[in-house]
Amino acid sequence: MEMEYAIELKNVTKSYKKKLALDRLTVAFPTGQITGLLGPNGAGKSTLLKMLVGLVHQDEGTISVFGQSPSWRNNGEIAYLPDRGRWYALQTVAEALAYAEVIFPAFDLDLARKMADSMELDPTAQIRTLSKGLEARLNLILCLARRVRLILFDEPFSGIDLVSRDKITQNIINSMFDLPKTIIICTHEIHEAESIFDHVIFIDKGQMVLADNAEQLRTEKGSIESVYRGLFQ
Amino acid sequence: MTINEETLNLQLDLSKPLYEQILHQIRYALARKDLELGAKLPSVRELAQQLRVNPNTVMRAYQELNRDELIETRRGQGTFITTKPQKIQHIRDNLATEAINSFIDTMQELGMSRQAALSLLEEGKW
Repeated sequence: MEMEYAIELKNVTKSYKKKLALDRLTVAFPTGQITGLLGPNGAGKSTLLKMLVGLVHQDEGTISVFGQSPSWRNNGEIAYLPDRGRWYALQTVAEALAYAEVIFPAFDLDLARKMADSMELDPTAQIRTLSKGLEARLNLILCLARRVRLILFDEPFSGIDLVSRDKITQNIINSMFDLPKTIIICTHEIHEAESIFDHVIFIDKGQMVLADNAEQLRTEKGSIESVYRGLFQ
Repeated sequence: MTINEETLNLQLDLSKPLYEQILHQIRYALARKDLELGAKLPSVRELAQQLRVNPNTVMRAYQELNRDELIETRRGQGTFITTKPQKIQHIRDNLATEAINSFIDTMQELGMSRQAALSLLEEGKW
C-alpha cells in the first residue's frame, strides 16, 4: 500500500548560533495517522514542530506541509500545543473557550464545552487557580476543539497526574473519529502514549535514527519504550 | 444482549503487536463460548477508548473477525457476534489444530517419537 505523507522534511538543517539543532534531517509523517516523535532532550523535536508552523525557519533544506511551505497562511489548518504553553491566567475556563472561538479559525465552541464537561473542568474556575493537570486538560481542549487537519502536541503529558493523562489520551482517541486528521505527539512519557501511535520516528542530535510503523516495531523488537531504551541508553 | 468491555476483559502487553492480541483474545473467547451468539460487541470507538489504543488497531482486528464471519457489522446498528454456531465450531477446530501442530513441532525438535509424545500427553495433567 502506497503511504501518503502530510508532512515531508528533506535535508533540513537549523542551527542556533553555534548549536546545531537539526542536521540534514529527512523525515515524513503519514497522513491520517498518529505519529510519536521521540528522542532525548535536545534532539530537535520542538524545533521541528516550531518549523511546521513557521515559528522557526530552516537554514537549509525543504519542508512541505500538505504540499506547501510553512507560513502563517497555512496555520489555520494546524493546531499547535507548545511545550510549557500558558493561556491568559485571569480568564475563567468559560471565557478562555469563548475567546478561543474568536481567535482560532474553525474552533468548535460546542465541542469544546462538551469536552470541558467530560474532562471535569469547572467553567467558572479562573485559569491561574487550576492545577497542572487541569490546565493541561484545558490546553488540550483548545487544540482538539479546532476542526483542523493537523495537530502538533509538544509534551502533552509532562508533569501531570495519571487521571489527567488518561483523559487526555481518551480525548485524542475520540477526536480521531470526528474528522480525519494527522497528529504528531512529542513525548518522554512513552509508556503512557505508545499504544495510540500508528507510526514512530526516533530522532537524536538533529538526525533521524529510526522510523517505522508501531505494530511493525512491536513485532520485530518489542515495545516502543524498549526500542527507545535500546537506541538511547 | 450487549457485551461490555469488562466481559471481554482484554489484557494487552505493549511488547507484542496490539492488533494480534486483540484478535487472538476475542477468537479464544469465542471458541470457549464465553461470548453469547448474536450479542452486540463494543463499538470500535468504545473499545479503543477503554483499551486506550489507536482506533486503527481495533478496526484492523474487527475487520479480520468480519472476514472470518465471526462477527458482523450492521450499518447504523453496530457490531454483533455471529448467530451461526458452526462458525464458532470452525474457529475452535482451527485454533486447536494450530495448537496441536505447534505441539508436534516442539516434540519433534526434542527428538520425541509419536508414541513417547502420546504417552506423555496421556500422563499430563488436564
